Amino acid sequence: MTKLVCAAMFFLLLAAMTAHADLKLEAQLVLGTNEAQTNGTPVSPQIEKKLKRLPLKWGSYFVISSQQFSLAKNETNYMVLGGSEMIVKNLGGERVELTLIDRGKITQSLHKGQTLVTNVKDENSFVVLRQADK
Amino acid sequence: MNLEQQLKLQAFLDGELPECEAREILAWTQRDSAAASLLAELRNTRAAMVKSEPHLSVPESREFFWSKIEREIQRLEPQAASTPKVSIFTALRHWLLPASAVVTIIIAGMIVHFEFPNNATKTVVENVADADTTTVETTLASTDATTYRDASEGTTLVWFSSADDSPAQNKKSAIN
Repeated sequence: MTKLVCAAMFFLLLAAMTAHADLKLEAQLVLGTNEAQTNGTPVSPQIEKKLKRLPLKWGSYFVISSQQFSLAKNETNYMVLGGSEMIVKNLGGERVELTLIDRGKITQSLHKGQTLVTNVKDENSFVVLRQADK
Repeated sequence: MNLEQQLKLQAFLDGELPECEAREILAWTQRDSAAASLLAELRNTRAAMVKSEPHLSVPESREFFWSKIEREIQRLEPQAASTPKVSIFTALRHWLLPASAVVTIIIAGMIVHFEFPNNATKTVVENVADADTTTVETTLASTDATTYRDASEGTTLVWFSSADDSPAQNKKSAIN
């Protein structure tokens, strides 16, 4: 009985520690095109599969730039991608708020494997936001 | 008279001395009045103890006395064996209490882990947003947002379009 209670306490401690862990995110500026070759690096097969299931008009996708960052709860990260200023905020519980200045605000759960795609000012470009691979 | 001589007298009285030594002690008690009086005292004490020793006897025969004890033991043994068993419900109740406490702790841990509900100050809108739904707010009245969700791949597409965007950037040109 004592062992069980100790295990439960350990689980609680572990859960509390995990709940307050930083959220490591990756934002990629992706160019959509119907040409086979461009200057960018092709997106990963995993992202390509996701993008090809979306109702977008392009057939090929290339990474123009990419950045990774960690956010503690309620912390924000400002960045400029594809001519759009944006702020990413960690709301806690693996939820993020992406604010595109002069456009709007998106609030979205971003668990492992979930991806948020939104367009930027640059033509045929959009941002792919997801949790970074460890 | 020293202690050794006193013990010799006691041994003489108990008949524990060899014959020659016993004769010496006897001669000594006849010569020494102190030794004679101690011997007499010891003899009287022994006689008094023998007379006053309680003589207990069982009113039954030895065999009958022990057979009574044996029967009593046999009578008590079945009672000990037939102690009432703990019912299954009692046993369950015995385990259910600590088990439910552990389960409660685990559920509390899961609530902490998933931060649900996050805190008491959340608004209704925020609570709705706790689900895996996407909420989109546009900054300008002229801005429009189209949301598409691919649940199987966990992908959400939010496409902003406004009157200021170039025709090529228009959602109709980007989204099929």
